[in-house]
Amino acid sequence: MAIAHPARREVLRLLREDGPRPVVQLAEHFDMSRPSLSEHLKLLKDAGLVSERKVGRQRLYSLEPDRLQEFSDWLAPYERFWQTRLTGLAELLEAEDDD
Amino acid sequence: MTERTSIDVEQFLPHAPARVWRALTDPQRLARWLMPNDFRAEVGHRFTFTTHPRDGFDGTVHCEVLQIDPERLMRWSWKGGNLDSTLTWTLAAEGHGTRLFLLHEGFDPDDPLQQKALKIMGGGWRSHILRALEAELQASA
Repeated sequence: MAIAHPARREVLRLLREDGPRPVVQLAEHFDMSRPSLSEHLKLLKDAGLVSERKVGRQRLYSLEPDRLQEFSDWLAPYERFWQTRLTGLAELLEAEDDD
Repeated sequence: MTERTSIDVEQFLPHAPARVWRALTDPQRLARWLMPNDFRAEVGHRFTFTTHPRDGFDGTVHCEVLQIDPERLMRWSWKGGNLDSTLTWTLAAEGHGTRLFLLHEGFDPDDPLQQKALKIMGGGWRSHILRALEAELQASA
């Protein structure tokens, strides 16, 4: 799970407090190798909790607050379930139109 | 953060309410977009939806038709796993289509069994870790 590791929580906290940061500056806060930190950042990125963009030669990481909110919302899986089903309903009705 | 006890979802469908109603009440159509079932559009009819069993959930949702107002509203009870809830479908004509509202009520954030069920559904975020994270983020805001 994306936020199950203290280092990843620390990354989220830093990004929240200090705004978008290049990986070099994030690395200063951690006593771990750059590849390890990159691995954590990748997990956070895959979970949609942070985003990455290139600015010049640097990669800037930013917090995605909406996604964090979604993560902390305990009914989100049910909501996704219903949203998916309703999309299915829309597709079914559309397919019937084509028949 | 206040925790929700219900879900609101809505979907605009470019089809008349009668068409949408049929997709909601015809068991074959329901099966295609929701789950296999033995639904009948009669108040008091008890029916089930069946899906793949998972840990802590036998794959059956037990329902009862509680209320029907054709092409406008339908309410079902919805009991499965540790969930004892209610679904309300509301249809509102909108232009040439229908806006379909779904209200799913009856979640209890303090029920540990429901939390477990959610974890099985692929969640798991309502953990101690998350609480700690939230507390931390709120404290630093």
